[in-house]
Amino acid sequence: METLAVEGIDLFLPKSFDIFWSAVILVIVAIFFYKFFLPKFQSIFDERAAKIEGGIAKAEQAQKDADEAKAKYEAQLSNARVEAAKIRDDARAEASHIIADARSRAETEAAQVTANAQRSIASQQQQALVSLKGEVGVLATALAGKILGAKLESGDVQTSMIDSLIDELDKEPAGK
Amino acid sequence: MAGAVTLAAAMTTLAEFEVPTIDDFLPDTFVFQGTPFAINRIIMVRLIATVVLLLVLGITARRAKLIPGRWQGAVEWLLEFVRNNIVYEVMGSERGRRYVPMITTLFLTIFAFNICGIIPGMNIAATATIMMPVCFALWTFVQYWIAACRGKGLGRFLKDELLPQGVPIPVYVLLVPMQLIDIVLIRPLSLAIRLFANMMAGHLIVALCFAATQYFLIEAHNAMAAFGAVTFVFGFIMTLFEAFVAALQAFIFATLSCVYINLSYPEE
Repeated sequence: METLAVEGIDLFLPKSFDIFWSAVILVIVAIFFYKFFLPKFQSIFDERAAKIEGGIAKAEQAQKDADEAKAKYEAQLSNARVEAAKIRDDARAEASHIIADARSRAETEAAQVTANAQRSIASQQQQALVSLKGEVGVLATALAGKILGAKLESGDVQTSMIDSLIDELDKEPAGK
Repeated sequence: MAGAVTLAAAMTTLAEFEVPTIDDFLPDTFVFQGTPFAINRIIMVRLIATVVLLLVLGITARRAKLIPGRWQGAVEWLLEFVRNNIVYEVMGSERGRRYVPMITTLFLTIFAFNICGIIPGMNIAATATIMMPVCFALWTFVQYWIAACRGKGLGRFLKDELLPQGVPIPVYVLLVPMQLIDIVLIRPLSLAIRLFANMMAGHLIVALCFAATQYFLIEAHNAMAAFGAVTFVFGFIMTLFEAFVAALQAFIFATLSCVYINLSYPEE
C-alpha cells in the first residue's frame, strides 16, 4: 500500500476531462431516450392498447349482435308457436262445425224421409179404404141376396136394406 | 474473515502480487492529454458503454413491433418495471407521468454503466469516476428544485423543509442549517457518492479476489494453491454479486430521485 500514487481525496476531486465526458455522455443519452427511444416505445404501447381495446369493443359488438339475433329468433319462434296453436284451434272449431252441420242436415233429411213415408202410408190407407168400401157393398149385396133369396125379390125392400147396411158400414169406420 | 488476514500478510511479503489500488480509478490519459477532452481508460469504457447502449436500445426501438419478440418483451418489461414499480410506486401515476422518461433514462443508463464492472475487458464500471454519478445526481437536484417551484412554490417548499412543524423554536437554530445543507448538498452528494463508492468497492473486491487467484494458483505454485481456489470461488461469487449490485444501485438511485422529487410536491 506504500506504493499509492494518489491520495484518496483525489478520487472525489473531479478532473476537467471527467466533467466534460460525463456531461456530454449524459446529454447524448438523455437526448436519445427523450427524442427517440421512449417516444417510440410509448407509441408502440399506445397502439397496442388501442388495438386491444378495439378488439374488446369488437367482441362486445359481436356479442350484442348475437344476443339481438337470438332474441329475434326466439320472438319469431314464439310467434310461430302461437300461430300454430291458433291454426289448430281454428281447424278443430271448423271440424266440429262441419260435423254439427252434417248431423243437422242428416237429421232434417231423416225427418223428411219419415214424413214422406207416413204421408204415402196414409194415402195408401185411404185408397185401400175407398176401394174396400166399394167392394164390400157389392159383396155384401151379393151375399145378402144369396142368404135372403126370395125374400128380397121386392125392389123396395132390397133398396132400403142396402142403404141401411151401407150407413152402418159408414158409421163404423167413422166411429173408430 | 480469516482469509483476509492471510491475504494481508501475503500482500505485504510478496511484492509482485498485483494489489488493486485506487490508482485504478485515476488511470493515465492517453489522448488529448492535458486538455478537457482527455480520455483515460474509464472514459473510454464509458464511451464504449454509451455506444453499445444506444446501439442495442436503438436497434430494439427501430425493430419494435406491435407483437413483441423475446428481447423486445424483456426491454418492455424493464420499461414497465421502471414506470410502475419505481416512479408510480413513489409518486403515483398522476404526478409521476412527467418523470417517467427521466427516471427511465437514469435507471437504464446507470445499470448499463454499472454492469461494465464485470464485463471482461472493461472490468471497471463506467460510473466509477466521481463526475458521472455527480452528473446524474445534478439532474435529480435540478429536477427537485424545479418541482419545488412548480409544486409548492419555492417559499412554501423552503418553509416546509427548513421549519418543520411541531419542533420547539430554539431547536430551529440547529435544524435550519442542517436542513439547508440537506436539501442543497446532502441529497445530491449522497446519491452520487453512494453510487460511486459502491462501484469502487465492487471493483476492488473482485479485482483483489482474482489477483489473489492469479498469484496463488498460477504464479506461486506452492501450498497456497488451495487458497487460490478459494479466492477464485469467492471472486466468482463476488462477480455475480456485483451484477446484483449494479442493478440494485440503479434501482436505489432511481427510487431516491423519485422520493426527492416527490418531497418537493405538497402532500395530498
